[in-house]
Amino acid sequence: MSAAPAPPRFPRALLRRAVPDEARDAIDGDLHELYVARRVRSGAAAAVTWYWLETFSFVMRFTIDRLTRAIRSLFGGDATPSTLDLRLGARMLAKSPGLTLVGGFGMAIGVALAAGAYAFFNSYFYPELPLHEGDRIVALAKFDRQRQREDERLLHDYQVWRRELRQVVDLGAFRTIKRNLVSETGQGEPITIAEMTASGFRVPRIPPLLGRTLVDSDEQPGAPPVVVIGYDVWQSHFAGDQTIVGREIRIGRDAHTIVGVMPDGFAFPINHQYWTPLRFDPRVPAAPGTGPDLDVFGRLARGATKESAQAELTAIGRTLAAEGPKELAHLEPRIVPYVDIFVNAEAESEAGVYAVMRFLIAFLLVVVAMNVAVLVYARTVTRTGEIAVRTALGATRGRIVAQLFAEAFVLSGLSALVGLGIVGVGLRMFDDWIANSGGAPFWIDSGISLGTVLYTLSLAVLGAVIVGVFPALRATGAQLREAIGSLGSGTKARLGPTWTALIVAQVAIAVAVLPPAMLKGTQTIQLALAQPGFASGEYLSTRFWVERDVEASTDSIAARAASDSARAIVTELLARVVAEPGVVGVTVTGGEPWSGGHDRVEVSGSDGSSQRVRVMGVDTSYFGLFGVRMLGGRRFAAADAALSELERPVIVNRSFATELIGAGDPVGRRVRFRNYDEAAAPWHTIVGVIEDFPAGVKSPDEESTRTMYRLVAPGEWGSALLTVRLRGQTPEAFAPSLRRIATSVDPMLQLSGTNALDAMYREDTLAAARLALVIALITGSVLLLSAAGIHALMSFTVNQRRREIGIRSALGASARRILASVLARAMWQLAVGVGVGLTMAIGLDVVAGGALMEGTGLLLVPGTAAFMLIVGLLAAAGPARRGLRVQPTEALRAD
Amino acid sequence: MTRQGLGEFEQMVLLAIVHLQGEAYGIPIVEEIERRTGRSVARAAVYITLRRLEEKGFVSSWMSDPTPERGGKGCRYVKLEAEGARALREARQVAERMWRGLDPGSLRTR
Repeated sequence: MSAAPAPPRFPRALLRRAVPDEARDAIDGDLHELYVARRVRSGAAAAVTWYWLETFSFVMRFTIDRLTRAIRSLFGGDATPSTLDLRLGARMLAKSPGLTLVGGFGMAIGVALAAGAYAFFNSYFYPELPLHEGDRIVALAKFDRQRQREDERLLHDYQVWRRELRQVVDLGAFRTIKRNLVSETGQGEPITIAEMTASGFRVPRIPPLLGRTLVDSDEQPGAPPVVVIGYDVWQSHFAGDQTIVGREIRIGRDAHTIVGVMPDGFAFPINHQYWTPLRFDPRVPAAPGTGPDLDVFGRLARGATKESAQAELTAIGRTLAAEGPKELAHLEPRIVPYVDIFVNAEAESEAGVYAVMRFLIAFLLVVVAMNVAVLVYARTVTRTGEIAVRTALGATRGRIVAQLFAEAFVLSGLSALVGLGIVGVGLRMFDDWIANSGGAPFWIDSGISLGTVLYTLSLAVLGAVIVGVFPALRATGAQLREAIGSLGSGTKARLGPTWTALIVAQVAIAVAVLPPAMLKGTQTIQLALAQPGFASGEYLSTRFWVERDVEASTDSIAARAASDSARAIVTELLARVVAEPGVVGVTVTGGEPWSGGHDRVEVSGSDGSSQRVRVMGVDTSYFGLFGVRMLGGRRFAAADAALSELERPVIVNRSFATELIGAGDPVGRRVRFRNYDEAAAPWHTIVGVIEDFPAGVKSPDEESTRTMYRLVAPGEWGSALLTVRLRGQTPEAFAPSLRRIATSVDPMLQLSGTNALDAMYREDTLAAARLALVIALITGSVLLLSAAGIHALMSFTVNQRRREIGIRSALGASARRILASVLARAMWQLAVGVGVGLTMAIGLDVVAGGALMEGTGLLLVPGTAAFMLIVGLLAAAGPARRGLRVQPTEALRAD
Repeated sequence: MTRQGLGEFEQMVLLAIVHLQGEAYGIPIVEEIERRTGRSVARAAVYITLRRLEEKGFVSSWMSDPTPERGGKGCRYVKLEAEGARALREARQVAERMWRGLDPGSLRTR
């Protein structure tokens, strides 16, 4: 296959979704042809840019075309808002840039959140299988109703189903295993393999690109080991070699012959790129409820339905349950859509939870839109005169509402476009992240789908209804008749309790909600900027894992032997690595120095209460290798490791000692876990206290950096983090040697995520920084909207009193007194808001057990309150001063 | 079906199809219009117009075989139908009737 240049995938997918079915291939082909020509003529960068621009043009124009058609079919043409209305709307936006920017920004963030959630939930939880008749591909599972989960020990059932089921054909099974792909230089690279029956290739109905797929005879015990590889690895690992079929590669301990290459995009059953046959000896039937975890799938037979297949499966299940052991009799065999066994089959109620979450996120947009509506209403009311004139000239109420809707739609539409852009960028970031952490299942396409575009559009319409239609209905209601009566004498709208309530609510929400959000944001930023506090450039870390053989997971004697051999393998690995030149030392831990799980512990001599602390498993060399300063006592010694796990001592850090023990020497005090059964947990003696390490790193969900270290001997780990300290060579340079050593110790020893420790740290903090950005953006938009809302409400209410101010001034009241009375009223409204907000803040904090404010956050509450007060008073002062400048005669003339 | 008129852009697309004599699909149509009018044309607008013209019965289309240089996709060729030819002739006659008695060189704006 030639490596001809193809257009970039993301815009191409977008394009294909935006254009109608009958024109899709023609447009795709035309743009492909032009892209290739342009690439030859002007280079790749220019061609890609051109392709993006064309895609954008196509998406925009075809979406508008689709909409126009939809509107025409609904209304027949004349009743819809005209382009003139839209143009007028655009002009109104340009006339009040402040409102446009603040309202637009807020709505864009709202739309981005709602549409992003929609796109995410749809592609992850309600996907369509992109395979021929994908809706007829099903999974067969056994549901354990008592434990609300799937039971995956299906080998026995699979053997029976395969023999007896008629309503489901091409029944297959697979399981995912990890093995090392060993290169010619002896370096092992862990790969994910689908051990799958040959029928797994018949279900998707996709032929191989080269060679063959797996066939039934490959499943026979003793058949030569073969492997089918995917397009991506064929390109990346074997340079797209056309003669690859027949070549041998080493996977784990065995050589496998490559018998076929699957085409681009094929990743069945989940996101696999290597397939080996799933082998079970048919002469030895498996006992029920034994064997490895399997996923079973198939295709509904011609003429069969899910219901008929379910009926047959239930009948077979009943016979099996009667013959099999009692403790398995309650398991229900089920036919479910293929994707369901991987996403949401485990708890039946989850679909409902997602629906609620989606609703809540969309509701956020409604809240934002209401805020903008308040802003717009304040302006719409000032246009009552204009609306009255139009009405007097014969415009119907509907016509005026339609016009105001169109004006609002220009704003919400633009916001939706910006929001959609944010979603696009967000999904791309998410996809990259998913790709880095193992890749998404093949059916997930989290790009912007047509559904997402339409959903966003409906959000824009919803926003326009709230922002435009509600204020318009109010402005064209009872007040209008009054306004028509007083045409020419200026506009007035009634001051009322509604406005006061709105101001109070606005201030209260800002005061209650913003401080915790700001606190979380600043904490995340601090974490993102924090330094690890050790010479991280000298350390190379890798996660390791000793893969067991197939038999070891099904047989308890084999399992024990495997765990003994795993211990021996790890011990040998450590010895071999330490012996390498340039290696200062090695340590094995549960995770990176800044990670660790949380447990509740109790300290002896305390009041018996338990505290949440970070707990990390380390070996004897950990503190020495990282040069952690001891504050008292001693480090772990080899003799400690010889004790049983229940008798081993622990070490704590400075925060632990000050916060949980206080005065007095921590060394010699005892600690026990209080997670489950309190009485049964043994006491562990504290033998040492260390400086907080890594210094100052604290993730946002942690109340404290207090940490307890427990001793774990290297051989006791299943999967753990191996860290090597190096001198005289870089971590990057040492990584290949480490891989080679590991593979030579045992090909089943897998290393993954091998990286310099500081690079790992940067990756972790970068993720935190992204989160901080999102939090800052949301908090910022809420703060901005609240301030703008308060400003608009204040200046609007005071504006309404301009005439009153003029009259009072005409009657001889001093300016100072008038101003004081206006501001006093504003102050009163704001103060009530702050009071309510404070009560809510304290209430929320109490409910959250103090986790919301953590003490320091409370300082932010007065700050936010003061900010809102200042904004409100400034907003009130402006119109009040303008009112004072009104000539008394002018103020009185209206009556 | 009621008698349907032709927009200016629709006329351009139809005339380009006629000029191309059986070789008309998206790319050459755009090139033909750009070459003859000296204006750049939004490609998407041409496809939308082609779709509309086909719905009106003015043109018909068919897919050619896929080719590798088009990423395994074919071309959608279009040809003028009798209804389209009649609409073009009528548009021309309307324009001519309106021009009759006028000298394009002596158009005055005031």
